[in-house]
Amino acid sequence: MCKYCLQHGDGGKWYENARLYSDALADEYNLGEYLEEQWKNMETLFIRKIMGFNSIGLGYKMKMPIIGRILRWAVERQIHSESKGRNPVRADGHFGQVLPMEDAIHILGNLAAEPIIKNYCICRYMQRGVKDAVCINFGQLSEVIEKHTRYIPEGVKYKLDREEAIAALEAQNKKGYVASVWFQPVPYINAICSCETPECGGLRLRNDFGLETVYKGEYIINVDIDNCQGCKECVSMCQFSALRYLPSVDRVIVDLNKCFGCGVCRHACDHDALSLIPRDDVPGQAGKY
Amino acid sequence: MGRTKIKIDHSKCGFGVSTDPRDCRRCLFVCDPAILLMHPTLEDHPNPHNPEKWIVDAIWLSLCTGCMRCVNECPEGAIQVFPG
Repeated sequence: MCKYCLQHGDGGKWYENARLYSDALADEYNLGEYLEEQWKNMETLFIRKIMGFNSIGLGYKMKMPIIGRILRWAVERQIHSESKGRNPVRADGHFGQVLPMEDAIHILGNLAAEPIIKNYCICRYMQRGVKDAVCINFGQLSEVIEKHTRYIPEGVKYKLDREEAIAALEAQNKKGYVASVWFQPVPYINAICSCETPECGGLRLRNDFGLETVYKGEYIINVDIDNCQGCKECVSMCQFSALRYLPSVDRVIVDLNKCFGCGVCRHACDHDALSLIPRDDVPGQAGKY
Repeated sequence: MGRTKIKIDHSKCGFGVSTDPRDCRRCLFVCDPAILLMHPTLEDHPNPHNPEKWIVDAIWLSLCTGCMRCVNECPEGAIQVFPG
């Protein structure tokens, strides 16, 4: 991730660089057209072909000798593409990072360009059949999505001011959804999603196929062994299966290799046993995004 | 290792037939690993602003756990699963 911190974040977290949210940047890259094309065709993303292969049976295709490795390389290249000829219908250059509620609130309160809207999560609709208005989009993307009424939630206020956006994000996070911030396309930031596995297209490709569509957060969870009472509440909140209860020691253990640092588990803890610490403070996890 | 195969009969569930997947969505709801995808077809897609021709396809085949819930749930009997 630090590649993007240095390149687009002026050395800090990339998503805290105000310039990446600006209209001027979107115009500089002429991204209005890209977003228009992308969202017109968003639902066909997974059946589009990349080098002659679509995502049907992707797990099997990527295990093929040689071809599988070439395919993986091509997909990674597409996901992180910053070239001029990016293909919007394949969502080239569209990737994100998990972030804790505090950072997401900071973005919505201070950095996100207006107008801010919430709309149906298209991943969840296509793969779980549920219409759930949890995606918060901002800047030029809002104007694009508004034109496509199928994404717009019915019967509720979908244009949000900053306070409403923060309240919505907070409520979703407490329900157990993971907040994630997205380049769309890199380096323009215009969405904070509330994801769940396995439906989220980004988390699916990351967790099930090892493609870097979503990076782990800048933080990681720390379980305070003395405070943990073994109530197991947090285990039910983790979208990444990183937490597990052990009867022998009557407490929760964490698999740091699976933890994305979203901090959602903290909402379930009444005993002050869970806290986020910077990823870089844990030597074995530093730099592993 | 065998590969899981899933056949979905689009003459029973799809566009131009009695069941539009967007109205039903029962297979999507019951599939725990969410390996099915409901999507507009790429063919005959003149107006992507208002995609009308939706079908369900099994996409993430390698993640199918062979529970057969979709087969049992489908009111049209349109899904066949051959676990690998």
